[in-house]
Amino acid sequence: MPAGIFKVKANEFEFQFNQKDIDGADVIKTGEGEFNIIRNGRSVNIQLLEVDATGKNLKVEVEGEFYTMLIRDELDQTLDTLGFNNVSTKQIKEIKAPMPGLVLEVSVEVGQELVEGDRVLILEAMKMENSICIHANAKIKNILVKKGQPVDKNQVLIELE
Amino acid sequence: MRKILVANRGEIALRIMRTIRKMGIRSVAVFSEADRHSPHVRFADEAVYLGAPPSNQSYLNGDKIIGICKELGVDGIHPGYGFLSENAEFAQNVEDAGITFIGPNPEAMRIMGSKLAAKESVKKYNVPMVPGIDTAITDVELAKEIGAKIGYPILIKASAGGGGKGMRVVEAPEFMEESMARAISEATSSFGDGSVFIEKYVTSPRHIEVQIIADKHGNVIHGFERECSIQRRHQKVVEESPSAVITPELRKQIGEAAVLVAKSCNYTSMGTVEFLMDDKLNFYFLEMNTRLQVEHPVTEMITGLDLVELQIRIARGEKLDLSQDDLKINGHAIELRVYAEDPFTNFTPSIGTLTRYEKPEGDGVRCDDGYEEGMSIPIYYDPMIAKLIVHAPTRIEAIQKMIKAIKDYKIEGVVTTMPFGVFVMEHVAFISGMFDTHFVKNYYTPEKIKDKQRSNAEAAALVALKYWQDKQKILAPVNHKTTSWKRRLAH
Repeated sequence: MPAGIFKVKANEFEFQFNQKDIDGADVIKTGEGEFNIIRNGRSVNIQLLEVDATGKNLKVEVEGEFYTMLIRDELDQTLDTLGFNNVSTKQIKEIKAPMPGLVLEVSVEVGQELVEGDRVLILEAMKMENSICIHANAKIKNILVKKGQPVDKNQVLIELE
Repeated sequence: MRKILVANRGEIALRIMRTIRKMGIRSVAVFSEADRHSPHVRFADEAVYLGAPPSNQSYLNGDKIIGICKELGVDGIHPGYGFLSENAEFAQNVEDAGITFIGPNPEAMRIMGSKLAAKESVKKYNVPMVPGIDTAITDVELAKEIGAKIGYPILIKASAGGGGKGMRVVEAPEFMEESMARAISEATSSFGDGSVFIEKYVTSPRHIEVQIIADKHGNVIHGFERECSIQRRHQKVVEESPSAVITPELRKQIGEAAVLVAKSCNYTSMGTVEFLMDDKLNFYFLEMNTRLQVEHPVTEMITGLDLVELQIRIARGEKLDLSQDDLKINGHAIELRVYAEDPFTNFTPSIGTLTRYEKPEGDGVRCDDGYEEGMSIPIYYDPMIAKLIVHAPTRIEAIQKMIKAIKDYKIEGVVTTMPFGVFVMEHVAFISGMFDTHFVKNYYTPEKIKDKQRSNAEAAALVALKYWQDKQKILAPVNHKTTSWKRRLAH
């Protein structure tokens, strides 16, 4: 049995447990792939939907919501630190679409200096007009969209210097 | 009437067609390019392609729709809600083409469609109204003057508006310019009419509305109130009937006021009179919606009426065979609008594909939807996936039933307002009935939903770990030395 710390990723959450936590958990099996756990006085029903051959990748349903789980034991964690290290610390200076929609107006020009709170464009989504404002002082480097253009969520609209 | 065209899409098109079929009438669906795979297209007896996805090239193309009706021998058009439903000119064109418009008469729509004309019409009936101006303006300086006079916060509203579009709350004079510009622009693009007016913003208001049923023979009755105060971005998310704060006497008063509003414009068909109610339970006339409301099912659940059937019968010229005294409130109904919106990022639209979609079932559970598993939510229209409605003997039972129904409603692929629905149902203010339209602003933070999800995820993580370890024990039950061997063999 692997000892030490177990890490579990569940969607955007990440938890750490030790063997004592696992052994002490009040879990009962209530059916095929169905479990009930009592934790901090709350009774939670959990349904196991999918498990891969390693048993470390699971998909579960809790109260109508779905969680994709990844278990990392000590060995996995060591491998993780050797392999893919943080590449996500890069700072990107751009404005992305917070929602899909239609660009109704571009209110700025390349080279324009903006102060926090200035409107850069208006995005229409689901018939609502939303002013997209800037959250810091910056200078416009490049405008990647034009009036009347539909955009997807997270699409880069404007690059900043 | 032998054939009815439903000039709408999604859940409401499907819901109307169900009643049409029940009444032995044939149905015609229309659809845009984005809706070819929608259930309403398959449900209908006939279906006709309208045009490209944007509404102005499809569902708003009234002339094309009338042309289709003539071609197919359609004798009635049901507009649903949104799109052409409150367009008096369209209703007039339909009637002029010799087709029955299943909705109010064009004149009543014209009066109530303009908030200013509506106020004018209601004035002589002694129905209470919110302080404000009764002429449309576009001048920012004038708006600031009026704002100073009636006191901030003020509310800018599109004269032709509805559904929160073209509406802005202005907290102070310095925000007037931008707010006016946005409200006018939204009003122009959504309704083709940029006139706005200004009124006092009632703090701590409840949104209470009354269902009106009026035939073409002068009979007007009401189907009680709906409480619609739980809103985000000035749009309703949770509605219920009856309201938790309305006493039988108050119900009688507000019901009678609503009937007067309807009578003031010789209203016919289904309609809804909206009121603002302050914390002392004074009510003020807000506007009349001249259409079948999104939230009509809660009224159907507590009255046992099929409002679409009534609407069709009224349109055929039948006399109401109901009197006010025939209507009784049976139990309590709550509706949750399930929107493809992310409650964690201020309810921004969450577009995607429904990779998993299973509806809840059960006694007193109704789910009006227009989607199926594998379909995606188009960006061109309102992002509502479904309306989840529950009915129970008491309010507290209805709340419990709603929580259960939300848990049974399995949606994957898009983020929805369902976690927010649970938050509302479990919130002490909602349970007590003491809440107003600021519920979201006052009580809601996404962290509260996140905390619960984190705790559920943590519980699930422990179960997953235990399951994994148990599985390993089965693979390597006895001797530690053989563990790796056996594991290798097992794979």
